[in-house]
Amino acid sequence: MPPALLTTSLVNTIQIGSLYALMALGITLTFSVMKLPNFAHAEYVTAGAYAALIVSLSGSLNPIVILAAAFIVGALTALVSQLAVFKPLEGRQVSFYTLILSSFAIGLIIRYILFTMADYFNLFDLRIQIPLQIVYRQGSLILSNLFALVVPTSILLVIALTLLLNRTALGREMRALANNANLARVIGIPVERVKNVTWLLVGGLAGVAGALWGMQTAVNPLMGWVAIISVFAAAILGGLSSFSGTILGAYVVAFSENTIMLFLNFNFGVDLAYKPAIPFIIIIAVLLIRPQGFTQLIKRGGDLQR
Amino acid sequence: MIKNCLMVVLIVMLTIMSVAGLSAQDDMEIYALGVALPFTGSFGTFGQDFERGIDLAVAQMNAELEAAGSSIRFETASADTEQTPEGAARALQTIVQTTGAQVVVGPLTTAEVLGAKQFADENGVVIVAMASSGPAASIPGDNIFRVIYPPDTFSSKAFATIALERGHENIVVLHVDDAFGNGMNEQFIANYQARGGGEVASFAYAPQSMELSAEAAAVSATLAGFGDNAGFFCVCFPGAAEAFVQVAQIDPILTSVQWMGNEAMTTDEMLEDPGHAQTLANASFVTVGQSAESTPLTPIFINDFVAMFDKEPGIFTNYAFDAANIAMLTMLAAGNDGAAVKSMLPFISNHYIGTAVQAFLDENGDQAIASYGIYQVREDGSGFEEIGAYDGNTDTITYK
Repeated sequence: MPPALLTTSLVNTIQIGSLYALMALGITLTFSVMKLPNFAHAEYVTAGAYAALIVSLSGSLNPIVILAAAFIVGALTALVSQLAVFKPLEGRQVSFYTLILSSFAIGLIIRYILFTMADYFNLFDLRIQIPLQIVYRQGSLILSNLFALVVPTSILLVIALTLLLNRTALGREMRALANNANLARVIGIPVERVKNVTWLLVGGLAGVAGALWGMQTAVNPLMGWVAIISVFAAAILGGLSSFSGTILGAYVVAFSENTIMLFLNFNFGVDLAYKPAIPFIIIIAVLLIRPQGFTQLIKRGGDLQR
Repeated sequence: MIKNCLMVVLIVMLTIMSVAGLSAQDDMEIYALGVALPFTGSFGTFGQDFERGIDLAVAQMNAELEAAGSSIRFETASADTEQTPEGAARALQTIVQTTGAQVVVGPLTTAEVLGAKQFADENGVVIVAMASSGPAASIPGDNIFRVIYPPDTFSSKAFATIALERGHENIVVLHVDDAFGNGMNEQFIANYQARGGGEVASFAYAPQSMELSAEAAAVSATLAGFGDNAGFFCVCFPGAAEAFVQVAQIDPILTSVQWMGNEAMTTDEMLEDPGHAQTLANASFVTVGQSAESTPLTPIFINDFVAMFDKEPGIFTNYAFDAANIAMLTMLAAGNDGAAVKSMLPFISNHYIGTAVQAFLDENGDQAIASYGIYQVREDGSGFEEIGAYDGNTDTITYK
């Protein structure tokens, strides 16, 4: 494997891993607080990406405005799915499996609403209009303005989320809910309000990730769904309960899809078309060998269930 | 009393009207025309627009049949192929089992066509595909007819010739890992090397992939190893093509070599992004696509389409319109019977001139007339211009 290729693949790993981390944190948060592996998460990503695309097409190329729009739309989409579907279902005390199936159904509904909108306004395979430029170049190390936007944004959001969980009353309430919802209710925590805020945060993070993902690739109604398997692999690597584990998992998945895949291709002729199989292999391997993921390896830093 | 009389009269009138309606309906012979297209997925826009083209063809045909006093009418029965081979097989099965359709227009891609092939062959259902071009579906004697777009055995020769004329001693190919991409890759390598070309390195990407950083890095590193006279050939679907150009535009190697690519890379969306447009312009991007010459029917089709749907037809929509017309004309001649349609369809096709080109089928049931335009991105990236033509039947390129 040529050194230049190694360098490029590592840069890609950091950039893509940061995006996976942003998406996967929401899944971890939902699973920990709401006890739900939410497959509609993919569509919050896509909804955020479309909000960002529409803002960018309507003339604003300010990344803060674009990301803010993505956050708001992603957050509202998640909140609506909670209020319209998950909350009534929880009220009826349906099974865990019913909730999973309903998350698939919500995802499908949102996806096809986006399909209809994209068809009507011809918004397929467009890119969020942030011009791509090289901001740093040293030999084969090339960093783009997208890298400079994606990586710090992801890191800042992860830090902000960690601080929120560990340093604020809301964070304590969320962790209490993650540990024992009944007990949290008994000691006076406003469970429904905390849940609603959690959904807003989850959707908002997914929306921002979708906007950044749409700058990296192209926006279409399937983009979140295509990415979600890698994102779930990252969350499962993190044991679905640890922020730090999820972040590490995201970079491991991105490293596997980029650096390891290229290493296998150049040294053993493994076809790059097998790249989508990597997250499945990771998921199966983790579930078979180490179902708790990185949870026991990383005890500090944003574990939701302590 | 008056009220009861009125009620009786009303019932009698309704009975007469319904009997008259039923007998009129009984006199009608309805032919189901199946439509199997990807209405969802990244090709969903194509599928929906193609369906409109087919609806227009059916509406016009029914109007003509009514005016001529014919008792035959066509009704479409649509199903979503979901842009997958399995989805295409399910769509065909659904259409046939729910409506008894013997002829299905579609599917779109070669992978979908091959997915539907087994069911079609086993059940005597005729598939009339409008845009599939992968060589893998060129099979003599089966129930698949690809009536408008010629197979890639022709365009791969054009790309091989262009690569050699550009002086590319070696080529790197990035292609979608499906029947279309693999077929184009294999045909291109065979033609390029048979005509004196050097080494070809190929990289495949998974059909649903939208993030192609690793693929771009691999292509770039291989091009660097090939030296100065290497070229790049991209066989990508929309979506993936934009994603690839997005990551390629800051790569120093990929932005310093010449590119060729399949027709799907020539979408309006691609050039709407100034960075993408400039990248393709700098790469002197060239594509080969079926010649866009008009027939007298082309402007009529466009006007009728706009009148019916209040929007311009999308790219290749006229192919769906033509394929539907060939299917319906054959059914009118042969009856609503799959075996008879299969037997008759080459004759009808060979006497059909539609909105694009004349259809003339080879022994595989594929379009045999291969007349391509060669299109290059303008230097300012503002659009594509025709710089030449390739005659697939004589294997010659003529530049303007």
